[in-house]
Amino acid sequence: MSVDATLHVVRPSKRDAVLDWMQMLTGAGLILFMWCHMLLVSSVIISPKVMNAIAYFFEVTYMAQVGGPVIFLAFLLHFVLAARKIPFRAEGQDTIWKHAKMMHHKDTWLWVVQAVTAMIILIMGAIHMWVVLTDLPITAAKSAARIQGGFWFVFYLILLPCVELHVSIGFYRIGIKWGFIKSEGRAAFKKLEGLLFTIFMVIGIITLIRFMFLA
Amino acid sequence: MGRELQFEIFRYNPQKEGDQPRMQTFRLEETQNMTLFIALNRIREEQDPSLIFDFCCRAGICGACAMVINGRPGLACQTKTKDQPSKIVLHPLPVFKLIGDLAVDTGVWFREMYEKTESWVHTSKTFDPTKEEERMNNDVAEQIYELERCIECGCCVSACGTARLREDFMGAAALNRIARFVVDPRDERTDKQYFEIIGNDNGVFGCMGLLACEDVCPKGLPLQNQLGFLRRKMGITAIKEIFRK
Repeated sequence: MSVDATLHVVRPSKRDAVLDWMQMLTGAGLILFMWCHMLLVSSVIISPKVMNAIAYFFEVTYMAQVGGPVIFLAFLLHFVLAARKIPFRAEGQDTIWKHAKMMHHKDTWLWVVQAVTAMIILIMGAIHMWVVLTDLPITAAKSAARIQGGFWFVFYLILLPCVELHVSIGFYRIGIKWGFIKSEGRAAFKKLEGLLFTIFMVIGIITLIRFMFLA
Repeated sequence: MGRELQFEIFRYNPQKEGDQPRMQTFRLEETQNMTLFIALNRIREEQDPSLIFDFCCRAGICGACAMVINGRPGLACQTKTKDQPSKIVLHPLPVFKLIGDLAVDTGVWFREMYEKTESWVHTSKTFDPTKEEERMNNDVAEQIYELERCIECGCCVSACGTARLREDFMGAAALNRIARFVVDPRDERTDKQYFEIIGNDNGVFGCMGLLACEDVCPKGLPLQNQLGFLRRKMGITAIKEIFRK
């Protein structure tokens, strides 16, 4: 039910602009974090000693103890901000699903992928962070023991592609939305997005396999 | 002998009592250089005079014949049947009010958009008909003309995921309209004034960057670049306003 006439006029506000800035900045920050995270964890491929040394460095500088929870808060904040755009009612979900099916349009589908992976990452990412941050320090041996249990191997096989998809699509989308990518550069940037996804997926899978067979 | 085309056309006339929305199949032999404009007219002439659809210029200028062609919003007059598979599915544009079958009312939407964006040159100068017109830099004139080419067919709005989800979203056509006045030196509106119109989730911050607008626009308007330009401009305007206090 709506009323056509109203005495209340919404005053112009900077609210939506600030929220959009924060959504972009938390997103960009998390993208950078995820790239660094993957590169640091994958140091186990070179040697578990390298990974341990890096983990030790973050431990003694308190970056893990302080940085970890900060990242967790940024993660939750990014969810709350970006969720403004995601339809949570069945009616809206039905609309966007039918729309994507009708359009046969890659970028529209990519948005659906982003929204779906967001929900998976929210739950699984939170579990991952809880498990790791409540059991500091991080060591290659502890990570390997977890993965070799089997359950966590499957857990990360689901979480990894979701994160990499979300991160590379998000990277592309920020560039598009804020006009850093012009229409001439769109096709090349989209290729870069696909390339980044592939590279990080390959590194991630090799890392998982390395943990699986770490003595 | 051309291909036999099979048309699946959405039929529903809200004016007709008891009419039910349904898909109706028509068959037609493809002729050389056939466009959907020709095909639909032939169907109406030869098979079903009750078929409702809009046409005017048949040259991609009036924007009246926009419809969803095999899932993608586009102009029927610019769509050649040879570029389509032999089965062509036609729907009316979503978001807009349905008049009947393939015809929708884009007029009311665009009129409201014009009112919302105050789509006219805002100037404090009084017009003097005897005076020579003010000169404009050719680059600027061309830039304005590029954005003025919008024919208001409504394809960008129908293709927009945000517009489908939220009826208060202004859509690429409106934002492009604002961009046109932003580059026009005759319009004296400030960034702050533009911000009041589009600096919110109904305007440029509602855009989710799906870029279907850019991909379906039959006139090839630079919508992606304009949306990015406006988001940055409005984002910076907001930051400036915050630090001004």
